[in-house]
Amino acid sequence: MNTQVTPATAPLAYSLGEDDYDEMIDSQGQVRPHWSALMQEVEQLGSAEMEVRRKEALKLLHENGVTYNVYGDAGGSSRPWQLDPVPLMISGEEWRNIEAGLLQRAELLNMILADLYGPRELTKKNLLPDELIYNHGGFLRACDQIKLNGHHQLMLYAADLARGPDRKMWVISDRTQAPSGAGYALENRIVVSRVLPNMFRKTHTHRLANFFKSMHDGLTGIAPPHAESPRIVLLTPGPFNETYFEHAYLASFLGYPLVQGDDLTVRDGHVWLKSLTGLKRVDVIIRRVDDTYCDPLELLDESRLGVAGLLEVARRGNVAIANPLGSSILENPGIQPFLPGIAQHFLGETLKLQSAATWWCGQPLEMDYVLANLEKLVIKPIYRSRGNIPVLGHLLSQAQLADLRDHIRANPAFYVGQEYLSFSTAPCVTAQGFEPRKVMLRCFATAGRNGYEIMPGGLSSSAPEKGDMLISGQEGSISKDTWVIALEPQMKYESARNIGASETIIGNDHALPSRAADNIYWVGRYAERAESSIRLLRTTVKKLYINPNNDDPDYEESLQCLFRGLTNLTGTWPGFQGEDDAALLKSPESELISVALDEQRSGSIASLLRNAVRTGYSVRDLWSTDIWRVMEDMDEHLAQPRQLGENALWKLQEILDNQISTLSAFSGLSMENMARSNGWLFLDIGRRLERAMLIISMLRNILSTQHRDGVEAQLIESLLDTSDNTICYRQHYRSYFELSAALELLLFDTSNPRSLAFQIDCLKGHVSKLPNARKGMQRLGAEERLMVEASSMLDLANLNDLLLVSQDGIRENLDQQLSRLYYLLNTLSDAITAEYFRHDSSPQPL
Amino acid sequence: MRYRITHTTDYEYTGLVGHSYNEARLIPRECRHQQLISAHLEITPKETDFRLREDFFGNKIAYFAITEPHSTFTVTAISEVEVFGNDRQLDLSRSTSWEEVKDILKRDKHTEVLDARQYTLDSPYIITSPDLAAYAQPSFAPGRPLFEAVHDLMQRIHNDFTFDPKFTTLSTPVNTVLEHRRGVCQDFAHLAIGCVRSYGLAARYVSGYIETLPPPGQEKLVGSDASHAWFSVYLPNVGWMDFDPTNNQIPGDQHIVVAWGRGYGDVTPLKGVVFGGLDHELKVSVDVARLGP
Repeated sequence: MNTQVTPATAPLAYSLGEDDYDEMIDSQGQVRPHWSALMQEVEQLGSAEMEVRRKEALKLLHENGVTYNVYGDAGGSSRPWQLDPVPLMISGEEWRNIEAGLLQRAELLNMILADLYGPRELTKKNLLPDELIYNHGGFLRACDQIKLNGHHQLMLYAADLARGPDRKMWVISDRTQAPSGAGYALENRIVVSRVLPNMFRKTHTHRLANFFKSMHDGLTGIAPPHAESPRIVLLTPGPFNETYFEHAYLASFLGYPLVQGDDLTVRDGHVWLKSLTGLKRVDVIIRRVDDTYCDPLELLDESRLGVAGLLEVARRGNVAIANPLGSSILENPGIQPFLPGIAQHFLGETLKLQSAATWWCGQPLEMDYVLANLEKLVIKPIYRSRGNIPVLGHLLSQAQLADLRDHIRANPAFYVGQEYLSFSTAPCVTAQGFEPRKVMLRCFATAGRNGYEIMPGGLSSSAPEKGDMLISGQEGSISKDTWVIALEPQMKYESARNIGASETIIGNDHALPSRAADNIYWVGRYAERAESSIRLLRTTVKKLYINPNNDDPDYEESLQCLFRGLTNLTGTWPGFQGEDDAALLKSPESELISVALDEQRSGSIASLLRNAVRTGYSVRDLWSTDIWRVMEDMDEHLAQPRQLGENALWKLQEILDNQISTLSAFSGLSMENMARSNGWLFLDIGRRLERAMLIISMLRNILSTQHRDGVEAQLIESLLDTSDNTICYRQHYRSYFELSAALELLLFDTSNPRSLAFQIDCLKGHVSKLPNARKGMQRLGAEERLMVEASSMLDLANLNDLLLVSQDGIRENLDQQLSRLYYLLNTLSDAITAEYFRHDSSPQPL
Repeated sequence: MRYRITHTTDYEYTGLVGHSYNEARLIPRECRHQQLISAHLEITPKETDFRLREDFFGNKIAYFAITEPHSTFTVTAISEVEVFGNDRQLDLSRSTSWEEVKDILKRDKHTEVLDARQYTLDSPYIITSPDLAAYAQPSFAPGRPLFEAVHDLMQRIHNDFTFDPKFTTLSTPVNTVLEHRRGVCQDFAHLAIGCVRSYGLAARYVSGYIETLPPPGQEKLVGSDASHAWFSVYLPNVGWMDFDPTNNQIPGDQHIVVAWGRGYGDVTPLKGVVFGGLDHELKVSVDVARLGP
């Protein structure tokens, strides 16, 4: 035991730049007191173990599907969230100052927002220049005079802070549009406290959960007065947004439906959620959609992310939007130089937390200063848009600087210059030990019932490499948890369980949006279609490569029949049905690999898996961690190389086996772990419907035409293998493969989970539980009628009739009966789509 | 002079529109020289959720939704106004110089001046530029009274530019209009506003109507069978003065104001979001009838 040892010096090899301020060690190389408890633990673990913990943290994040999407990526793919396990430590004393500064700043920005969309005293009294407001893209005239209930307008606020060489914390930028990061901060906390449990316990760190409780209270408080228990929804731009993970995460954590613009509609002066069970009134919207995109009627008419008429509802006070539309005006960095004057005017106070020195070029002296010092400054446009983003002057070439000068001279009021601070450094774990890297801290405020509340901690980010600088919102930075040392003892644990408890406090009735039900239904269908396709392909590959039976005269014909069936079933035409099919049938290898792995090919297994994962991602908030982990596995199967080299079919077989395991894990988890909510119901309807239709297709493709006995026997063997029924068959029947017995097993055996009768039974039960199914003595609804017919057809079918073969070698009865059943199932799908998933056609400007 | 204005907008869709949300700026606002006697909108199919309010600029704006599926959509605005032409035509040739006005706009704290200041800035359709300033330069001689300068600018635009409805669209930039010297009333108004703002002065866009059938012996004015547009410039102690470069005249009792803003984008007569409908054909007709003095 050496817990009494206080590390006097920094860990080995922690070398600092000369002028940098380091968060952990002082200029004498001593560990600062608020880091000592943490560093003791770190020393005990040793740097090798820290590296292990770092990897463990990344694994947890990956498994939880924590991502940050990268715009412009053609595949719309997401990047894993990066986390360094060593938190940024902040002493209780310093936090008191930061907190006070943030409280003041939140209040001040709130008053500015209320003024700009109210009396506009600030411009009238010249406390803010007209151009900064009236010419700013974030000042939305349509939002003039719209107010939320109560004092608070700015409900959610984030500030990026960094420490300069003078040890002071400076505000680098304010986030008021739809501040992101609070959810990532929470997830970071959960992961870090899991991989470093001892440290977390010993350091008396402030907990985060209360912050979200206050957020919920505040949002409830702004609901229109008519709403007794307000329905709060989280509006997301959708799965392609860079912080979509966080939207889904917060929605499920807070118990709010996650909705996209077309899940909502305006009727009779209110906003409604198009849920499975009809329109539900929405009282409060947390928006993660930029304000100009929120209403195509009054704001940006080409927006497809908003709700037409939303602003009018807000204007009437029938819905509260947080943050209110128009709040992005506060992100204007040109306001910074005027904040001290405004603080005096509104509060009679000086600013407790200052902004990094900022010069607005709309004033002649300031413009001259910026032009003369371009290389030393960060140049920011007052309004961010495509191509208008902050740049570091010292990274620009002479030509770029000259170009920038021209832009500033042509439109000076559009630019500010901001002092470029050399941020402080903090330790990061690397494979080689600790390294000091620049850090920045994003803090969060929420307007609760009793004023603003600051999240005790926040989302820190550090530069990806030693010596790198950091710009706020930069891609590629590595996040850190932030530990604020409590001045008084804290509750014992903070775990997912603890947060789960708060979920039940917060809870909201889960009105499942129609779009979500639609997506989850298709996840069921895609996953099942992928699995059935894989099974048939695997059987075919086995027959071709693993168990070839070239001596058998019937082998070739039955194999070709399987090839053609594969093309038809997956819909990967022309494939083995094309004009050059003779050649393909002779050397089928590359075609089989393409059907498995070519993601670009419609109907391929890779494309089906991709569709299942993508569709699943768009309802990310509905999956548990375990199910999502399996989805992540599915996604990884897609990373297979498309060329398999030598022994390709052998490798393919292995890939297919793994895919089957993953898909089985998915169906197993959804059977065993999902509550029997409407979500599950639609997932399983999708799955059963797809399986039933594929059984029918397979039988029609392979058995509608009569083959000679030997071929037929081999085909039956393959069919049984495909549906995992070989053993079952052998137990019940003779070892010789006979059609009537196989049909009994595949069509009528209700105890066989891969028979058609089993699927129809399930569907019959499911449709009676649909939200709009008949109640009591009412007549059967359309969906139920279809399944009653399907079920009776199976009950009444005569096996001998089905086996009859016409003169031209066709089993007409079998084919006709199966065709009718297919029609009934297809009609069921259409009926469900029309009844529950009907979407509006997309909006267009008049 | 008293008028009745009937402004009909008619959409025919190739497909069915399920529902739509709309905003109409079709009811004339009131101002110093204009009184609204009565106004109403006739909407087919029947609208739901109708609400009238004032927008940021004080224009009258009607919000309404249509929830009935339809393939034709008609809005007819019928309004009666009284226009007091004499109030608009003052002799201002001896008024304040444009430099002084610019200075007043910067420093004066009167509510009216504070409100006018926003119209000195660029706006979405109108970005000031050295080219615009250069075109306007001959009108803005040093020390010249503002009224005279703007009057001269209006005349020059009228003489230099050709009225050509085929040349421009709603989104033609002012610079293109300047370069080719062609356009319609909306372009001329935008151009004049850009010129005036280039000198640090306040100018705004006015949309409205002019009398359809002139009194016997007078020529029919351009722009009389549709919405018309002109511009207005702020003169301290006097107020906003209107100028119509298309007809080269100071609006009197034949110009009826509907709405004003920074540019066309602020006063679109009718806009909306429709669900469905595919393509459409649009017909607009305006009738301005003189009811008597």
